[in-house]
Amino acid sequence: MSDVSLRGVRKSYGALEVVHGVDLDIRSGEFVVFVGPSGCGKSTLLRMIAGLEPISGGEVSIGGRVVNDVPSPQRGIAMVFQSYALYPHMSVYENMAFGLKLAKTPKAEVDQRVREAARILQIEPYLDRMPKALSGGQRQRVAIGRAIVRDPKVFLFDEPLSNLDAALRAQTRVEIAKLHDTLDATMIYVTHDQVEAMTLADRIVVLNSGRIEQVGTPLELYREPVNTFVAGFIASQRMNFIDVTPTPDGVMLPGKILLPIQHAGLASARTLGVRPEHLELASDGAADLSGTLAVIEQFGEYALAYVEMPSGETITLKLDGAPELHLHETIHIKVPPEAIHLFDEAGRALR
Amino acid sequence: MKNQANPWLTSNLWVLGLGMLPAILLIGLLLYFTAWAFAFSFTDLALVGRKSVEWSWVGLENFERLFTRRGFLESLWTTVIFVFFSAIVGQSVLGFLLAAALRGSRSTLRSVVEVCIMLGWLLPDIVAAFLWSATTAQTGLINQLIITPLGLPPVNFINDYALPVVTIANIWKGTAWSYLLFTAALDSVSREVVEAAKVDGATPLQRIWLVQLPIIRPHIATNMLFITIWTFTYFPLIFAMTGGGPGRQTETLAVFLYNQSFSRGNLGFGSAISVAMLLIVGVLSLFYLRLLREPK
Repeated sequence: MSDVSLRGVRKSYGALEVVHGVDLDIRSGEFVVFVGPSGCGKSTLLRMIAGLEPISGGEVSIGGRVVNDVPSPQRGIAMVFQSYALYPHMSVYENMAFGLKLAKTPKAEVDQRVREAARILQIEPYLDRMPKALSGGQRQRVAIGRAIVRDPKVFLFDEPLSNLDAALRAQTRVEIAKLHDTLDATMIYVTHDQVEAMTLADRIVVLNSGRIEQVGTPLELYREPVNTFVAGFIASQRMNFIDVTPTPDGVMLPGKILLPIQHAGLASARTLGVRPEHLELASDGAADLSGTLAVIEQFGEYALAYVEMPSGETITLKLDGAPELHLHETIHIKVPPEAIHLFDEAGRALR
Repeated sequence: MKNQANPWLTSNLWVLGLGMLPAILLIGLLLYFTAWAFAFSFTDLALVGRKSVEWSWVGLENFERLFTRRGFLESLWTTVIFVFFSAIVGQSVLGFLLAAALRGSRSTLRSVVEVCIMLGWLLPDIVAAFLWSATTAQTGLINQLIITPLGLPPVNFINDYALPVVTIANIWKGTAWSYLLFTAALDSVSREVVEAAKVDGATPLQRIWLVQLPIIRPHIATNMLFITIWTFTYFPLIFAMTGGGPGRQTETLAVFLYNQSFSRGNLGFGSAISVAMLLIVGVLSLFYLRLLREPK
């Protein structure tokens, strides 16, 4: 168990800089998730911590020791790769024992550690199999097992679930959460999937174009996104963004309806953000927004209604239960003032 | 699977037969030549003279001569040495080392090395043979540039060290194939697997020896199969450089076969040599094909 800190970490390929000075402190035992769209630099950042990618600038330290020039095996890390990266010519047992054997660990200890990891991951029956005789989920466990036996200070996961199907992904997600609890180790996890980020993380680091947009607990990011990027990225249904005009008493919605709001920075508000689950249906007279129902998706426990505004924007509503709505019917929506987020011209949240 | 063939075609056997004619001809021709060589290995057919017309069946006499007369076993041994050092050790190992060393580098060095080894491959055998003879002769480039300036008496390499010179020439000529094959094979090894080995603490040498080499083992076996067969029956470079000499020092089986069949005119005996070569190469191939099989 060890803390990891990044100080002004940069990465460039020739003249092209892809990570622009990242500062981050990861506490010992914490589960941190790097999340962001593809190409945001999250994997590059992880690979720099792993020692697989040279660091162009700044400092990476693990457990208080600067590791910029320390080779991977001596950094006290273990990595789980997206493609599992099992050695195809070795059995499951040999895959897990490989690192220990290279480190000249006594045979009895290798055996004990491999079997212990296999027990934790419930892969004992497969120890003698070759990787190609395993399913995707089993291979993923072996890859995690290979990391566990090395008893690392920091676990690094590079999109470990993206090759699994949806059901297995949900199941493995829960198991990784349990594993974190059991091992009590520092874990850094890279994903582009915000559900994985929300459910696994102690803290989420949202990255975009090689910069950190926001760092916080999942609920902090959900409740107080610092900008439209984070607001739009976090949560399973994307936040609705509506162009508004500020007035002294509130903001003017597209239908020329005034939404009364008291806010210090009201004058610079340009965009109103509201999550689909916070919107409510209303009667004609009490509506803040009205539009035509374009699509409705029924999930049983909830429904997603896509409502087309006269201005051309589409607003998503998440409604509990199975509401009886009909296509092309006019939908009246109430915007609860306490649930809204205001953003200025540059997309920064107004506090 | 159900037969998907056109019903009009399947009911017209003549049309079907006509369409297959080129294939039948080709296969027939191949079988004819093999059968010819096999059949005449039991005769005393000669290239010229009375026995070119009035040949007779001699049973296994030609095959007995392979083992009782001087020539065949010596040539077999020369061939084994030539194949082992020029193909298996030389081309294969050198090709692999080059492929592993230049992998991932995009420098001009890589381009230069690639062009150089490809040049050897692309140069016609006869031209290459002439170059190597000229370079290694008593008045050749090596003597003029290195040996004489050092104050040593000139050495006639092509004469005094015929087999090593021919072997080195063949390494130079054939490394490109192994290099290309191993480059492709190494590219098929997933980058993440190699990185996993790096994180596991494997040194660069261990990553090659314990991870990459075992993964590309089927490619290695395929390469061995090809270059062994090619080198075993390889003829033009050696023949043009030395003609099998001096004495019989470089008389590999292919050269021996040529000399017996066309210089001495013993076509029957030559056929027996070719049948023997076929058997040897066949056995070697079986051995490599076993290597190709995946471990349990």
